[in-house]
Order: sequence, then C-alpha cells, then structure tokens
Amino acid sequence: MNKTRKIEMTVELVRILVAVAIAYVIALVTLFLISDDPIYIIQQFVLGPFSSVRRVGSIINLAIPFTFTGLCFCFMYAVNKFNLSGEGIFMFSGCIVTLVAINLGEGLPFPLMILVLLIVGAVVGVVVTAIPAFLDAKFNSNIVVVSLMLNSILVFLSIWVLKYQMRDPSIGSMGSYPLPDNAVLPNIFGKFRIQAGLFIAIIAVIAVAILFYKMVFGYKMRVVGSNPLFAKACGINMVGTIVIAQLIGGALAGMGGACEILGNYDRYKWVASTQHGFDGLMVAVLARRNPILVPVAALLLAYIRIGADVVNSRGDIPIEFITVIQGIVILLVAAEEFMGRFKKNMIYKAAAEGLDKDKKEEVKELMSEDGEGKEQ
Amino acid sequence: MAQEVLRMEGITKIYDNGFVANKNVTFWLNEGEILALVGENGAGKTTLMKVLFGLEAPQSGQVTMNGAPVKILNTLDAIGKGIGMVHQHFMLVPSLTVAENVVLGIEPMKNGLFDFDTAVSMTQEVADKYNFNIDPKMKVADLSVGQMQKVEIMKVLIKGAKIIIMDEPTAVLTPQETDELFEQLILLRDSGHSIIFISHKLEEVKRICSRVTVLRHGYCLGSYDLADMNESDISRLMVGRDVVLKIEKEAPNIGKPVVHIKNLVKINEAGKHVLDDISFDIHEGEVVGIAGVEGNGQSDLSDVLSGMSGFSSGTVEVNGNDIKGKTVHDIRGMGMAYIPEDRMEYGCAGDMSIRDNIMADRFFKKEYKSGPFMKKKYIDDLVDQYIKDFEIACDDKSQPVRMLSGGNIQKVVVAREFTSGSNFILANQPTRGIDVGAAEMIRKTIVKKSREEGTATLLISADLNEVLECSDRLLVFRKGKVVAAFPKANEVSEAELGEYMLGLKTMTAEEMEGLL
Repeated sequence: MNKTRKIEMTVELVRILVAVAIAYVIALVTLFLISDDPIYIIQQFVLGPFSSVRRVGSIINLAIPFTFTGLCFCFMYAVNKFNLSGEGIFMFSGCIVTLVAINLGEGLPFPLMILVLLIVGAVVGVVVTAIPAFLDAKFNSNIVVVSLMLNSILVFLSIWVLKYQMRDPSIGSMGSYPLPDNAVLPNIFGKFRIQAGLFIAIIAVIAVAILFYKMVFGYKMRVVGSNPLFAKACGINMVGTIVIAQLIGGALAGMGGACEILGNYDRYKWVASTQHGFDGLMVAVLARRNPILVPVAALLLAYIRIGADVVNSRGDIPIEFITVIQGIVILLVAAEEFMGRFKKNMIYKAAAEGLDKDKKEEVKELMSEDGEGKEQ
Repeated sequence: MAQEVLRMEGITKIYDNGFVANKNVTFWLNEGEILALVGENGAGKTTLMKVLFGLEAPQSGQVTMNGAPVKILNTLDAIGKGIGMVHQHFMLVPSLTVAENVVLGIEPMKNGLFDFDTAVSMTQEVADKYNFNIDPKMKVADLSVGQMQKVEIMKVLIKGAKIIIMDEPTAVLTPQETDELFEQLILLRDSGHSIIFISHKLEEVKRICSRVTVLRHGYCLGSYDLADMNESDISRLMVGRDVVLKIEKEAPNIGKPVVHIKNLVKINEAGKHVLDDISFDIHEGEVVGIAGVEGNGQSDLSDVLSGMSGFSSGTVEVNGNDIKGKTVHDIRGMGMAYIPEDRMEYGCAGDMSIRDNIMADRFFKKEYKSGPFMKKKYIDDLVDQYIKDFEIACDDKSQPVRMLSGGNIQKVVVAREFTSGSNFILANQPTRGIDVGAAEMIRKTIVKKSREEGTATLLISADLNEVLECSDRLLVFRKGKVVAAFPKANEVSEAELGEYMLGLKTMTAEEMEGLL
C-alpha cells in the first residue's frame, strides 16, 4: 500500500509540470501562427521576467497579493464553502484603509500606523465575509450567489467612497487624496523595489500553516471539511468552525488589500474590481489547498503575468493571449483526473508486481493447507 | 456431465487504491445448478460478481458464456446476455407498486404512455409461473423484507435472466423467510436457471447448493462437490483455520443503570412512529443486544442515543443526565462512545490520517493540547500504541484511512471509541462487511470491556449469530416496539428469534417484566 501512496504523490507533481508544459506548447504553436517573430516572443515570455532585477522584483511584488488571497481561499476550501467574497474584500479593504489613513493623517508614528491600518483591513475582511457566512449558516442561502452579489455591491460601494468621501479634486484622474507618509510601506532590497508587505505575507503564510497543521482549530477545520457527517458524529461544532474559518479567510483578504495599497500606491485609484480575489482562488487550487504551497503557486502565477507584461510591451502579442495560456494551465492543474489513467495504470502495475512476488509463496501455503480437499 | 453455461477464466481485478480484490480467479457455472460462492468478507466474492454483472472492469481475464467468449461492458449488457443480480441491499422504489418496480427498464407502452394494466398482467404471469404469491398492485413500501426480495427476483426473471446472482440473500431474512426463499430457488433451478448463491452461512450452502467455489484473500481455492464435504471442511478452506463461533464469557457483573430509556417515541418526517413507546435500561457490565429485521427502529434508536437526531417524547438519560436537546458533543461528554452503522460516512474521514481520525472525538480535551496547540509528541505516541493494541495493519499513523482495508478502517473506528474512556458504548453493526479476524477481535473486545471495565454496551446487529453470542440480555425490535426480551441471549435459538422478528409471536408486557 505504501507504494500506492508514493505513486499518488509522484503523479501529482508530474501532473502539474505536464500541465504547465502543455500550456507552453500550445502557446508556442499558437504564437507561430499569429506572430511575426515567434522565437523572440517566446524567449521574452519565458525568460523576460528574469531579464532585469526590477522585473524579478515585480514578480515577487505581484506574488504578495496573490499569497494573501490564496491563503484566504485555502480557508474557504478547508471547510468546503465557496465563499467568493475575497474578491470584493480586497478592493473594499484597500478603499477603507485609505479612507482611515487619510483621516488619521500624520497623527500616529510609522510602524504603529501600519499596524492600525492592517487591523482595519482585517476587520473589514471579517465584517464583509460574515455576511455570506452567516446567511449560509442561519438560512442555508447559496453562498456562491450571495458572495458574488456582495462583490458587486462592494465594488460600487468602494467607487462611491472614492468619489464622494476622499476624491482629490486637484488631480486629473480619479484618485483619493495621497496617503500620508507614515502610512506607506517602504520598498526594500534596493534595486529589487520589493514592497515591505513581503514580510507581512511571509508571516501570514507561516501563521496559517501553523494554524492548519499544529493548532486545535486547524485540526477541527480539516475534519469538518474532510467529512462533515463524521465531524458531526464525533461531536465537533460544525457551524461555528465553518463560520470562523471563513472569517479568518476574510481577514487575510482584507490584509492583502491593505498591503497592496500601502505598498504599491501613493493614493487609492481603483475604480474596477482588481481580480486579485479570483486570482487567489486560482492560487489556492494550484497549491492544492495547502497553505505552505500558496507562495509557490503565487510566484508561478506572478511569473506568468509578468511574462505577459513583457511580451505585451515588447512584441505584437495582445495581453489577452496570455490570459488564455494561463487559463489552460489552471484548467489542467485543477482537473484532478487529468493523467488519472496514468496514475491508475501505475498503481495496477505496482500491485500486479507485488502480486507476482508474493503469489508463489501464498498460493503454495494456501494449497498445502487444503491438500486434503477434493478438487473437482 | 452438465452443460457449462458460464466460465470466468483468470480474472484479476485491482482497485484504484492498489487493492487486489481478485487474483487470477477461475470459476464456472453449470446449467441448472445452484453454486455456492463462499469466502470471508473481503475475500473478493462481491467484486467477482460485480465483474460478471458489468459493474467493474477487470484488468485481465476472460468470460465465456455457453462456450463463446463474451465481453460484458455494463449492466445493461449483462442483462441482455441473460445475467441478473439480486443485490444485498434492495434496489426498489418504495412509493411505486410491485408491477411498476418489476417492469422498470422494460416498461410496456400504449399510445406513448405507460401501460399499467399490461405491467400488472406481465408481473402476474411471472408470479404465477414461478409460484410467487404476491399482489402486483401492492405498494413496495407496504411489503415485508422477504416479499421485497421476491420482487427483486421477479425483476430479474422478467428480463429473461438464465443466470441469477444472489448476493447474500438470506442476510436480511428471518429463518422462516429463508425456508420460503429456498423452495423458490429450487423451483428456479429445476426450470433450468443457474444460480450463484453468495453466502457465508455454511449450513444454508450445504442445504441447497450442489457445488461450492471458495475464495480467500482474492484467490480462488477451487471448486468442490458438496456431497464430499461438511461445514467445517468449507470453513477451514474459507478461513484457513477452524473458526470459533462461540465467545467464552463469564456471567455479567451487573451494576447500576447507565442508560435509562423511558417511553421513548420518535415520529419521523413522514409522520410514522419509528420508535413507539420504548422503555429499557442498560446497566454497568452488561451487553444488551438488539435483534430485528433491518428498518424496524434500530437505526433510529442509535441516532437518538448518539444525539445524531432528536426524538419526539419520552426521557433518555445517560449516567443520570437527560439528553433531550443535547448535541453529540454533550452526550459524548456524558460518557457515550459511538460506533456508527456506516463507517465511511460517519465513522471516519477517508482522506485524513489514522492519527487524525483517532483524535477526532477528543482533540479538545486538556490532555491533548497545550494552549491552542496540539501536543504532537504525546498524541503520536498514544496513536502508535493504539495501532499496536488494536492490530491495525498500516504503514504508519500518517497513512490516509481510505487506503486501508474495510476491516482495518473499522479497527481505527473501534480504537477511537473503545479508548475514549466512556462507560457506555453504542455499537451499531460494529462488524458489518469486515473479515472474520477483525470481527472476532471487535466482538471479544466488546465482551472484555463489559467484564473488566464494567462498560454498558448496546449492540445493534443484523448478524443474528453476533447478537446471540455477544449479548447478555437480548431485545427484539419490530415496528419501533420491543416485542420480546430474553434474559440470556445464548440460550435463544435462531428459529425462535425469527418468529418474534417476523411478528408471528409477541411477548406481553407481563412476560417482559423485569427484563427491560
């Protein structure tokens, strides 16, 4: 049986690599059809993200929000609730954090200010996720529908706050008043220009991993998510666990929105949904719902995105094309039965081999006992 | 020499988790015979029949019918080739009539609409031909278990099956119903049908079968003429040693009542009294067995006692605490341990490790955690010890439970429930569908805990042999009521039990006085 376990793990890894490879092959073939200079484009797409220190920094920078929302969806997955409010929370939390920062002004010293704003972001996340979570727990309303509708509300609520509560009339484009200096996360690592939110993201990953695998609550959450009926028969408070897990997820998405605004912007400018939430969903799927793998998946997604940007700025390929490639990767990785036959065949083969080995002895042993039996 | 109608040659079936259920199995079936297919639970009988019926595709092997090689693609294909299967769990629509159930799949049509009258006459025709005494216009929901089984057989016959697979047909029947079934099977045999009879009740095999094929650990040990064999020969072939069906136990040392049930009534959503005014106690140190045809309130009682569902009226106390409105968590806190009927649904989380499964009922207790963290080392050592104590065959404690065999999964469940420190064990079908070795270990542990630790146990089981052997006191359930009570379970005969289970006899309240 141990063999089966090894095969399952190996195939899982191979499957993800094959999925990525297939997506790139499709990209290659298509590029040959639509591009004047396909070799250059592919080179840019694959190697472009590593071509300068600045770009490597961009990959990491982009992976930070993905990590936060990816962690958020790990919680939703853990309790089997497709609460998609992470998408709206990310934007709304960025908006509210900016509003609070502008109103607090220079009053608080730098590290304390950041801490307060992060807490504000987390609280926004908790309050917002609570809506679909409680409606589901109390009235059994469809959590997907409720959270999607909620996202629309949050997008327009954010725009309303921007327009009527904090718009800076002195600038030409739509934007809030600038963030006070004490509320800006500094860039670190010099030329890489990575935002200091990286540390917060790393801390979040570690904290979530500990919560998942070392703490009592994480254990409870995994039992509930793995088999709710079993959890009930063991006397685990399911409703409470499910709701709290979602609230923690919401808090992480809210902190992600806060970090993004404080680290990468000088003022709040979002007038449409940022898609970071749905990207987080992808990251969680890629990471197989395992918080430890979330940063890896986030970096992979960020790498593909930056590659797309490079191609877009250098070549004749529209950015939409890259979205298609990305879609193929996610599709193949998420399709759990992709290569399932390959896995099964390996399992069968291993089992058959084991069979041949022990067969002789076992048959001999069985037959010798039954020697006196009268075979027809 | 009888005509050979079916041969399965070199069948190997490996499941997706790497479990080899059939290893190069060869067996054949002659025309007009009843062949017994025997083996322990998990020996591969059901898998072999699923392969024959097109429910599972084997990795290798060849099926031959009437001398010609065939490929059975799916169940429709199997039915088309004249193979029919009567499943252990009935596949009937309770709200429809007998006739409607029987013609399902070959519905007669008139003007594009279902023709009920023809369906009735078709059903009546089959019933007359094979001497089934059953009214085609009755609703299946109103039938007894034995009658439902007849409907299942008629379903198979009307589709023209010549080969009939019966998967443990007597498991749910009382001894009286079994006799009736056997007459029917002999009639079918004499009219040229071939029957594969799966059972592990060897006296039944000996009674109606002419030949037996024995499976063990997925291997076929050969086919034998039953005329030359007695029951212990077969059982030695099945298990590889003499099976001890008797459990040695001394008289119980009965203490104060642990569970007190008074006038318990439960009315289900359909308005039916599934538990109808039940009163009895379970004392320290005794095993109370509950026998009954499945679906007569045993599962409802288990749901009420475990807290999985509520009840309508009456009182239930566990160690002096009223359980009305309490959650499973609360009741477990009062001292209940619960082995659920369906281990995969309620007894474990398949994707989680053995360790995580064993901790599920107790992780919140002080001794297993320090602050918000779990005590990894302490838990690991404990689980390792349980794996040893309960002889769970596995790689290590981190192996996902779904990769274990049925018997070992049940050992994980039992390891959790037996070590929970409870003084009341609610065991609902604790050994269903697992191998003899694991079942024997579980039964012995139940008795041992009651004798050595004074545990009160409620044993609900469809396996009559199990309730008779393990229980001290025995109650019989019928239609949500206690219809009989016996002070000493091992002095009751199966035939006598059957009469009460079927409702042929009922004890009066006076007769049961002092036994509840």
